Amino acid sequence: MRRFSTACIVSVCAALTLGITACGSPDRESERLEVSDADSPGSTGGARVDPARAAGLLTQEAPPAVGRPVTGGEIGPRMNPDEPSGRWPFYWTRAVYSSSGRGWYGGRGGGSWATDYPKGDRQFLIVLKRLVRLNAYDWENAVSLADPDIRRFPIIYAVEVGRMNMTREEVDGLRSYLDAGGFLIVDDFWGSREWAQFEANMRAVFPDRPIRDLPLDHELFSAFYDIDEILQVPNINNGASGYRTHERDGYTPYVKGIEDDEGRLMVVVNWNTDLGDAWEWAESPYYPLMYSTFAYEMGANMIVYGMSH
Amino acid sequence: MDALFDFLFKYRPLAFEQGEFIFAAPASVRLWLGAVGLVAASAVATYTIARGRSTVTDRSIMAALRVALLGVLVFCLMQPTLVLSTVVPQQNFVGVLIDDSRSMGLENEDGTVRSDFVAEAFTPDTGTLIDALAERFVLRFFRFSDVAGRIESLDELSYRGTGTDIAGALDVAREELAGVPLSGLVVVSDGADNDDRPLAESLVPLQAAGVPVFTVGVGDELIEPDVELGRVELPRAVLEGSTIMVDLVVTQSGFGQRSVPIVVEDDQRILAEETVELGPDGQPVVARVAFQLESSGSRRIDFSIATQPGERVDRNNRRSAWVEVRGESDKILYFEGEPRFELKYMRRAVHGDENLQLVILQRTAESKFYRLALSDSTELQFGFPTTREDLYRYRGLVIGSVEASFFTHDQLQMIADFASERGGGLLFLGGHNAFAEGGWAGTPVEEVMPVILGEPNGGTQGFFAEVKAQPTLAGLAHPIVQLDAELDRVEARWDSLPPITIVNRLVETRPGATSLLNGAVTGGGADQVLLAFQRYGRGKSVALTTQDTWLWQMHADVALEDMSHESFWQQMLRWLVDGVPDPVSVSTDQERVEPGETVRLLSSVSDSTFIDVNDASVTARVTSPSGIVDELPVEWTVERDGEYAVELRPAELGDYEIEIVAERAGAPLGTAHTYLHAAPSDEEFYNAGRRTSLLRRIADETGGQFYTPETSATLPEDITISGAGVTLVEEHDLWDMPGLFLLLLLLMGAEWGFRRLRGLV
Repeated sequence: MRRFSTACIVSVCAALTLGITACGSPDRESERLEVSDADSPGSTGGARVDPARAAGLLTQEAPPAVGRPVTGGEIGPRMNPDEPSGRWPFYWTRAVYSSSGRGWYGGRGGGSWATDYPKGDRQFLIVLKRLVRLNAYDWENAVSLADPDIRRFPIIYAVEVGRMNMTREEVDGLRSYLDAGGFLIVDDFWGSREWAQFEANMRAVFPDRPIRDLPLDHELFSAFYDIDEILQVPNINNGASGYRTHERDGYTPYVKGIEDDEGRLMVVVNWNTDLGDAWEWAESPYYPLMYSTFAYEMGANMIVYGMSH
Repeated sequence: MDALFDFLFKYRPLAFEQGEFIFAAPASVRLWLGAVGLVAASAVATYTIARGRSTVTDRSIMAALRVALLGVLVFCLMQPTLVLSTVVPQQNFVGVLIDDSRSMGLENEDGTVRSDFVAEAFTPDTGTLIDALAERFVLRFFRFSDVAGRIESLDELSYRGTGTDIAGALDVAREELAGVPLSGLVVVSDGADNDDRPLAESLVPLQAAGVPVFTVGVGDELIEPDVELGRVELPRAVLEGSTIMVDLVVTQSGFGQRSVPIVVEDDQRILAEETVELGPDGQPVVARVAFQLESSGSRRIDFSIATQPGERVDRNNRRSAWVEVRGESDKILYFEGEPRFELKYMRRAVHGDENLQLVILQRTAESKFYRLALSDSTELQFGFPTTREDLYRYRGLVIGSVEASFFTHDQLQMIADFASERGGGLLFLGGHNAFAEGGWAGTPVEEVMPVILGEPNGGTQGFFAEVKAQPTLAGLAHPIVQLDAELDRVEARWDSLPPITIVNRLVETRPGATSLLNGAVTGGGADQVLLAFQRYGRGKSVALTTQDTWLWQMHADVALEDMSHESFWQQMLRWLVDGVPDPVSVSTDQERVEPGETVRLLSSVSDSTFIDVNDASVTARVTSPSGIVDELPVEWTVERDGEYAVELRPAELGDYEIEIVAERAGAPLGTAHTYLHAAPSDEEFYNAGRRTSLLRRIADETGGQFYTPETSATLPEDITISGAGVTLVEEHDLWDMPGLFLLLLLLMGAEWGFRRLRGLV
């Protein structure tokens, strides 16, 4: 049993104050996005990509850069598209990448990168800002890996990378991003097949850099909270049902990383776990608090680490 | 001209300057002469009203001529007299001071050597001046260079002195001859004084004693053709790997405007080469060179210009300077008020610099801090230091985006004192909680900042601008701004960097502060102050008003191999801690001395809170080049708190290592190291032209005269009538001046000629 930490209490309070009005249904949210169905990567009806064919699939075209939501809209202020980013010291940024298979939003557009987007992002920010003294932009921010503008956001977050199928531009963009000093957080992919897909994509970026397990004495686990145990964070359905926490053959959660030549983490990989769902559904009375607590602790640690190393 | 004057008036102008003019006729005679003069004048006046062929004008002119003639006669009858005080022969002394320095060995344009005049003038029995002087005076000879002393014969002159101290020589001669009647001092020199002693302090006692100084200037005023490298100044100590920028002053005469290469070497290893375009004759030009020092220890850096064809003096083409390259790691505390990418990329930029330890204290939540790069686990465990002792352990302090209300009043005062008392380097970064936006106005820290704070502009919806960094003129000469090893490419490098953003509106630097970078606002508007600094107390403070220099690393327009961001931060932080004192420090009043020359060792001693200590036990451990170790007690000077001093006289050539150990009541206060270099100097060959103005000034201010070798023949006579010493008053008649006779003839001839002209004869 995990202790009740400050994160736990605050996440409950934040989730309650959020209310459903802060976030619409996934379908309503996808309609606000500028990406049209016609522009999203081709669907393969949910089939998994064979890693052996991964190299050939990297020649696909990248989706157009999502950029930032337009001004106006129902909820709160949005970034002025005519103003360079930088007014806020921190933007929680989604990495937009090409993928195969249908996205979480049932083919209405977005691809797998848009899983839990934007509700998870907004909810994460609300609680994150209560936990960490972070001067962050309150809203979501999605930028394509192929967009040079991604270099203005030194921390990016990629989910459902088990369906990742990057184009050459995205591979080059991600490589230069990480080599310059960017920090990538990866989350929400399960099992050996998805691992193989993700690993194949990362091999295209860094053929020679291994993906290592991070020991619990790594600085990441003490950057903000002291984390002494890695929990497997289930998706909303599994968490609410209480039946199981894993998906597919992803029985054991891992936190892995890719380091640069100086030993600094460039990429944090949360495999066989779904932090994003825990952030998104923290306010649900059916979703166990312990998972949201852990997810927020990991999130805070990753942010603090990524902003100081 | 003097000769003509001498002919007309019997005596030289100096005699009239020194003497007193009187009319020697007794009063009764003068009275009778006055009456006769009046009668004669009246007779002439009636003459003017006489009739005849002449006009009134004619008669007036002729009357005036007659009156003038009578006036001259009356003048002569009044017995005009020049009263002079002349010295009594052999009752007075004259000191002859001969310059014995190396510059006296320089050749003149005519092939003679400067010191030749000394032999010509003062060799016994054959000298042109010595006999004339010896007839009238008792002579005492002195030689001087950097030190002065009596000599008995010219054989004791060697012309090997490595400095020239005329003021000191005058003092020595005056003091040595203080008890005797002194008619004057004669100084034979090229005037190339290179001592820092103020001349006025030596002239005033001479003026008070009425001792004139007669100076004889030898040598050419202008040495050409010649190229000369001016004095070089290096910092006393720098961190290993630091880039040093040096301005070299080069002057040429007679070579015209050409380019010459300057080479910078460390132990014969070339550090830098720069080509300088020489200016017009006599006009100095400045060449800036930059180089890095990689090896720690005492380094001698040589700057040289190759000897040019036909150059008259080549020993002034080379300069050496010493610098101590420190291999230690300087600690800097960076306190950031929130997680920010600026911290991340600053750390990355200086990560590989072994001479900088950037200790991080980052506030991640209320009362929660993230500490990085600590020396031990207890460092900063309670947050920002609350005592001076803890804070002053750091040599630099960086304050990020943190509001002033976070600190207690004592801490705010400590931050201000960190620069003023501790002498540390203080850097303020821009951000939403920085400067006015962070409530720093009205705090003790405000005046430490080199920028003037305006009104706060209201959080993330307030002021926000994108700016392009542009170096100012001062910035281009500053090591922080040097992003390229080639100095002429620095501006282009800055221009290639992407814009960054600011959220603090700062347009004005504090009086006395220097702006190094301006921020040109994208889209127009007043330029922002981007980087500025000022000296504050014993330390310095810097303001970097942007919040995201990390864009110079991360922006897509910046190539991965571009090291501008790294260079900027390494140079910034190194400069921040450059020259920051330790509780115990040591220096010498000269970095280079001649063997046998005295040098003063000065040490500043304070406690861990940088309060000066006057009751410390201080020892200097001096290790000679041959390895002999000497321990000397260093005493408090009493003149200044915390200042201790001792004198050394190095005997050997080479580098001396000096270690200062200070303790109080058995508890150590600290140690300090420095080096002293005992080496011969070539200073005599720099600026070695004859300094006529200096020599003339000495003469004028003391009532003496300036001569060249060509005009020195009148020197003995001029001393005779100087009026100094034991003198005799002599009266010399002036009525028989040839000039008066000629004037009489002229007036008579003028009247006769006028009459002829007017047909009145």
